[in-house]
Amino acid sequence: MVTKDYIRRRDQRTGWLLMLPALLLLLLVYAFPILRAFWLSFFIENLSTNLEPVFTGLDNYGLMIQDGRFWQSMRNTAVFTVFTLFFELILGLIIALALDQAFRGRGLARTIAILPWALPTALIALAWRWIFNSEFGVWNDLLLRFQLISSPVNWLGEPFWAMVAVIAADVWKTTSFVAILLLAGLQSISQDLYEAHALDGASPWQSFRQITLPLIAPQIVIAMLFRFAQSFGIFDLIQVMTGGGPGGATEMVSIYIYAAVMRYLDFGYGAALVTVTFLVLVAVVGLTWLYLSRLRAKTE
Amino acid sequence: MPNAEIRLCNDCISGLDSLGIVRFPGLVLREHWFFPILRRSRLRVSRFALALAVIAGTVLFGAHVWSQQPVTISFLLRAVEADQMRGLAEQFMAENPDIRIEMVRGPNAADAVENLYTTSFLLGDSPYDILFSDVVWIPKFAAAGWLLELSDRVGEADLADFLEADVAAGLYQDGLYRMPFRSDMGMLYYRTDLLDQVGLEPPETFDDLIAASQTIQAQTDVDWGFAWQGLQYEGLVTNFVELVAGFGGFWIDPDTLDVGLDQPAGVQAAEFMKTVIDQGISPPGVTNYVEEDSLRQFENGNAAFLRNWPYAWAEANREGSPVAGNIALKPMVHAEGQQSAACLGGWGFGISATTPHPEESWRVVEFFTSPGPMKEFITEFAYVPSRRALFTDPDVLAVFPHYEQLLEVAETAIPRPPVGQYAQLADILQRYLSAAISSQMTPEAAMQAAAGESRRVLGVDG
Repeated sequence: MVTKDYIRRRDQRTGWLLMLPALLLLLLVYAFPILRAFWLSFFIENLSTNLEPVFTGLDNYGLMIQDGRFWQSMRNTAVFTVFTLFFELILGLIIALALDQAFRGRGLARTIAILPWALPTALIALAWRWIFNSEFGVWNDLLLRFQLISSPVNWLGEPFWAMVAVIAADVWKTTSFVAILLLAGLQSISQDLYEAHALDGASPWQSFRQITLPLIAPQIVIAMLFRFAQSFGIFDLIQVMTGGGPGGATEMVSIYIYAAVMRYLDFGYGAALVTVTFLVLVAVVGLTWLYLSRLRAKTE
Repeated sequence: MPNAEIRLCNDCISGLDSLGIVRFPGLVLREHWFFPILRRSRLRVSRFALALAVIAGTVLFGAHVWSQQPVTISFLLRAVEADQMRGLAEQFMAENPDIRIEMVRGPNAADAVENLYTTSFLLGDSPYDILFSDVVWIPKFAAAGWLLELSDRVGEADLADFLEADVAAGLYQDGLYRMPFRSDMGMLYYRTDLLDQVGLEPPETFDDLIAASQTIQAQTDVDWGFAWQGLQYEGLVTNFVELVAGFGGFWIDPDTLDVGLDQPAGVQAAEFMKTVIDQGISPPGVTNYVEEDSLRQFENGNAAFLRNWPYAWAEANREGSPVAGNIALKPMVHAEGQQSAACLGGWGFGISATTPHPEESWRVVEFFTSPGPMKEFITEFAYVPSRRALFTDPDVLAVFPHYEQLLEVAETAIPRPPVGQYAQLADILQRYLSAAISSQMTPEAAMQAAAGESRRVLGVDG
């Protein structure tokens, strides 16, 4: 037993030793910037202080509470995240179920399905900006041809429609990511389960509810967590499609942070914005994790 | 034993005997880490020293040669402009063999160039000796301490040659940080044929403009009176600057940091924008117009009046344009008893505070902004000079006869407030103006809110 323990300990030590460079790298590129931003958020460092940090405690957070633009960008980010996640989950599940069926050209269909996700976001955003262009856009042209609208709609110029447009573009782009993840889950389900269930007289809908959904729940959660983090930090798509306009109607937190830091050179306030965004992100992921572990404990 | 060490080590490198590594990782690691390296270094010490000497020699020799090379002065600019300025740069290098100008071709979007400059200055050791800058970047860069003060280098007499507004725009807290190169200003374009048709003089005041527009819209088949730029972007701000000054007010006083948005003139300016839309003088889509959109209305003959920059002249007069030969320009309209104002734009040079070659940088800036090269540049590429004398220069007038009227406009030019937080203040104004003209807020409420936020940014609460 002693030698076994010894060998295990030695293996563990070697394991740690091998992991050390990677851990140090992670600390350097993740922990350090986050802690640095957190520390900086207690200072005012902008053009009024000649870019020198002046300690002001919680002043930046106080300003943030009064800052209408911050709340607006938070609200926009929340709306964007909720709606993109909702539609991506529904559509992603439908596509995954379709791709899970056996049909001719399935391999090709699967490859095509992943394409939107594989394309660079900035280019996609540029394409969608043209599609939604009020005068030369394809979308208006189609709607006009089918007489669904009588005069061109200024998609990216109206606050409500601009939000709809960026959500549509993001759903188009990232649904395939969700679909591929869910497809992986579907393929791990044994066909025997469905056959047995069918023999017991279950309808396809019952099978879906009672077998498919519970068994791909882990994949759903993983996909949603990934998508949540990405949606919450969305930048490139919005920057290219609307730049946050009109009137800040599609301005996300990341766009505001970018403006505060890069355009206003307001590093202290920018750091406070980053800190709050980071905490919200961690809180949501943490809550999800807590909920999941509760759920697992209950089922076991 | 030495053989075994080397074999193990080679195995690690080639990865052939992975089994040994997995089974005895600690052992292999230790041997790999210390012994072979020691052994090799002993063997190769003389060769290593030789290599070191060769490298050191090369570096020293290179440094010696380098010190006799011409000094390189580098700056970043939009690629289109880099191509346009290449001729002048080559001319300078031919006359000054001790300086090499390196023009780094940047993206064609001006704000992308601004970001690149910002990033490089933030890093502390900018690779750019010179800043080629939009007029509105100067206060921010000066406030951040990134620019060299130029007052000592340029004489009062030479400065007096430039348009007043062009000099004022380069001042930050009484220091001069910019040498103007090419200027830009907003003005009113009008259709001479339409005014003749209805028998009216070109409008002088805001009321004239509204009355003339309504007359023309009623008596001719022209749809719209007045086209301008209403999208939420910097262009909206430049339109507003002209209106608020035309009503006798101001946006921000750079000396006292007073905010004038919620004073009568500020509210009147916002109300004017709203009024021309509500009364059908401007197309409803004007709230999404940038320069090109409004110009398209004007040059297609759909609008009688246009607020735009100097480039619109050549565009609207080009061959095949329905309005060619029937347009004229004049300073912007104003309220009764007040003065016209043109919002100043344009580009100029600053010098980086950290450049190791301030003297050589200044010689480059001095060359580009001197009368000869400026004249050559603006005549070849149809830009507007920032030196007053060039507007009436016979050679320039031979190419651009309308520069005589343009000087009239240029004399009314005013800069946007040169304060460090300009970008933030412009964003605030854009958001609230856009809200006001798209009927989300009343002009008065919008201007009050904008004034409040502006004061908070400037730190002059109350």
